[in-house]
Amino acid sequence: MNLEQLKQLKEKAQKQISLREGGKKYRVVVGMSTSGVAAGAREVMTMMLDEIEKQSIGSVEVCVTGEIGMVDAEPMVRVEEAGGEKTVYGKVNLEGARKIVSQHLQKGKKVQELAVGQTKDKE
Amino acid sequence: MFEELSQHILDIAMNSLSANATKVQISILESRRHDRLVLRVRDDGCGMDAAMLKRVLANSWSSKTKRRKAIGLGLAFLRQTSEMCDGRFQVRSVPGRGTSVTASMRLSHIDRPPLGDLNATILALCSADKKTDVQLNYRSDGEKFVFDSRDLAKKG
Repeated sequence: MNLEQLKQLKEKAQKQISLREGGKKYRVVVGMSTSGVAAGAREVMTMMLDEIEKQSIGSVEVCVTGEIGMVDAEPMVRVEEAGGEKTVYGKVNLEGARKIVSQHLQKGKKVQELAVGQTKDKE
Repeated sequence: MFEELSQHILDIAMNSLSANATKVQISILESRRHDRLVLRVRDDGCGMDAAMLKRVLANSWSSKTKRRKAIGLGLAFLRQTSEMCDGRFQVRSVPGRGTSVTASMRLSHIDRPPLGDLNATILALCSADKKTDVQLNYRSDGEKFVFDSRDLAKKG
């Protein structure tokens, strides 16, 4: 185990905790169940946190939960908007995680090809 | 199956959060001198009685009885990894007091998974529940590292 790596943890966690405050425009929930973790949910979450920081998107809260519901579609990410609309993404890989951040969270455009089932479009 | 021990840790600690723990303590002891690696996840959650504990340790059991897709392999996975690497696996639990999961391994065992990205595991746990205090205690032969999410909350 590399202790140097662990020393960065405090700084990273501090940032993450400040991201957790409520009242944000988007709330991103990553499913961190046994199947989620095995499918790579943790890496997806890390990628999203890094991208959110890199693109300096302010109004996003990232958190994790247990199972979201569809084990075969793990890793799953749910994006909840302040207005109440929810979008569930399935089979999210690292590329998909990046897309969700740069399109949905940055521009407010849903990533249709990753969405599970039908989402209601207001257009 | 998990490729990293830190993924096992995340998985087991997520159980603690489901058990409404206010504190999750993760200890890792890595000793080259004794050729041993010991992981422990201890919580002050709702705990389990003896009957439930017995069922939990049987493969494929979950507390999510109402769900059709309840799987419940987390503990079984860790037990398998631990026993495969000449280690021991133990779960202790007292209803209303909490649960402690301990898994040991032979450090030099060829099948022992790497610890992996422990930072990502702790970050994910810190994001899970604002009310839960996440502690990490890492020790090796000469080194020590302590992390407590409560310290950060105070500063921030």
